[in-house]
Amino acid sequence: MALRGVSLSAGAGEVVALMGPNGSGKTTLLRVLAGVLAPTAGGARICGFDVCEDSLKARRHLGYLPENTPLYGEMRVAEFLRFRGGLRGLRGTALAGRLRFVLEACGLEELPKAVINRLPRGLRQRVGFADCLLHAPEVLLLDEPFNGVDPPHAAALRQVVRAEAETRGCTVVFSTHQPQDAALLAGRVAVLDEGRLAASGSPAELAAGTGPAAEWFAGVAVPGAGGGKEGAAAE
Amino acid sequence: MRNFFELWRREMGAYFHTSMAYGLGAIFMALTGFSFWRMVDRLARMPADAVNAIGMLFDSPLYWMAMLTMAPMLTMRLFSEERKTGTLEMLLSAPVSSVQVVLAKFAGAYTMFLLMWLPTVAYSWVLRRFGTAVGVDFGPLAAGYLGTALIGGFFLSVGLFCSLCSRHQMVAGLLCVAALGILFYTGLPGRGGAAWGDFVSATRHMADFARGTVDTRAVFWYASSAVLLLFLSVLLLESRRLR
Repeated sequence: MALRGVSLSAGAGEVVALMGPNGSGKTTLLRVLAGVLAPTAGGARICGFDVCEDSLKARRHLGYLPENTPLYGEMRVAEFLRFRGGLRGLRGTALAGRLRFVLEACGLEELPKAVINRLPRGLRQRVGFADCLLHAPEVLLLDEPFNGVDPPHAAALRQVVRAEAETRGCTVVFSTHQPQDAALLAGRVAVLDEGRLAASGSPAELAAGTGPAAEWFAGVAVPGAGGGKEGAAAE
Repeated sequence: MRNFFELWRREMGAYFHTSMAYGLGAIFMALTGFSFWRMVDRLARMPADAVNAIGMLFDSPLYWMAMLTMAPMLTMRLFSEERKTGTLEMLLSAPVSSVQVVLAKFAGAYTMFLLMWLPTVAYSWVLRRFGTAVGVDFGPLAAGYLGTALIGGFFLSVGLFCSLCSRHQMVAGLLCVAALGILFYTGLPGRGGAAWGDFVSATRHMADFARGTVDTRAVFWYASSAVLLLFLSVLLLESRRLR
């Protein structure tokens, strides 16, 4: 059993980071929330819709970026995004408008005709982000979104996520192994261990505490953690 | 319905973005072209044997070679590749139903199948233009195309189901070849022995179609079997979502 008794909720505009060692259940939790994996017991809701009972309605409200950003590599960037927008019910001028917005927000405005397979990892990740944001979802689920992305690209992507949460009130849940990402982006961190929720709190609270959760933030500049660290982590 | 068309269009694009459609089309045209050449050759030698000659186009070893190889090649990557690369997870996180996904993938493969047969309609024109003295009956020709469409749909639904059974498209392709091979071998004259072997015999059905005989039992058998396999595919895809 990958998850045991995990209870978690996130409100509008909240950014929650899921942390924990490999196999702790981060990806499983995100897959359950995204409706691509059904829980054997318990349940999950997205914007009030049960991900199993009202799966289609729940999926209309979320953008999900799976680990390693699987994309249809043979397609061109804009072609792929138009296809994905079409599946989310975007048509005509609405689709064209959102397409322009996400291409600009994700720094892809020069690459709409690029073949996805020919893009480097960082740009492919941006395409994945653009796909998630295309239909302006209320919930963003991101599995290791900054993994393998170089620091400048990662900073740009964090900025995109932050803007979505702050300007649109989008709820963001993302998994990461990098405490720096959690410290820079998340208002709350949930630490999973062997499928259980081991600790939960703001990065500053976890960093200031003791125990295994604090070890994740050892040596990391955490805003609000005191000791002259505040601001050191700001972007 | 819109989602279905979006998915169908993507499937069609996937065939034409790679060299697959062109390669398959070339092999297919070579096989059917050779069948046609043999048919014309026979018509030239035995003009009174028009119906049997048309049978050579739809019920010859080359025809079955084309049918038995095209179905696995068109379907083996449909789900296996998406599962392997992880794009199925991305696809299923969008507001699309499993029914839409399965039907769109089937429709994509079926459209490709029909597109590959489309150029062979030119053979009818060639016969009409140059074979008037032969007096070819176009009824068996139309029935042959109907039989091909029905058997093709059934074969493709077998392939689509097999594609859901493995992450590796080669394994899925081999599964499909094995399943179609068993069906084909069981239905060969003198094989199987039992009455049901005769009932499921694609070669017997196709021989009937190529003679211009449209047996509604055969029509029902292929249509219902394809629907059943597509239904099972939807269930299998749903169960994959649950794992």
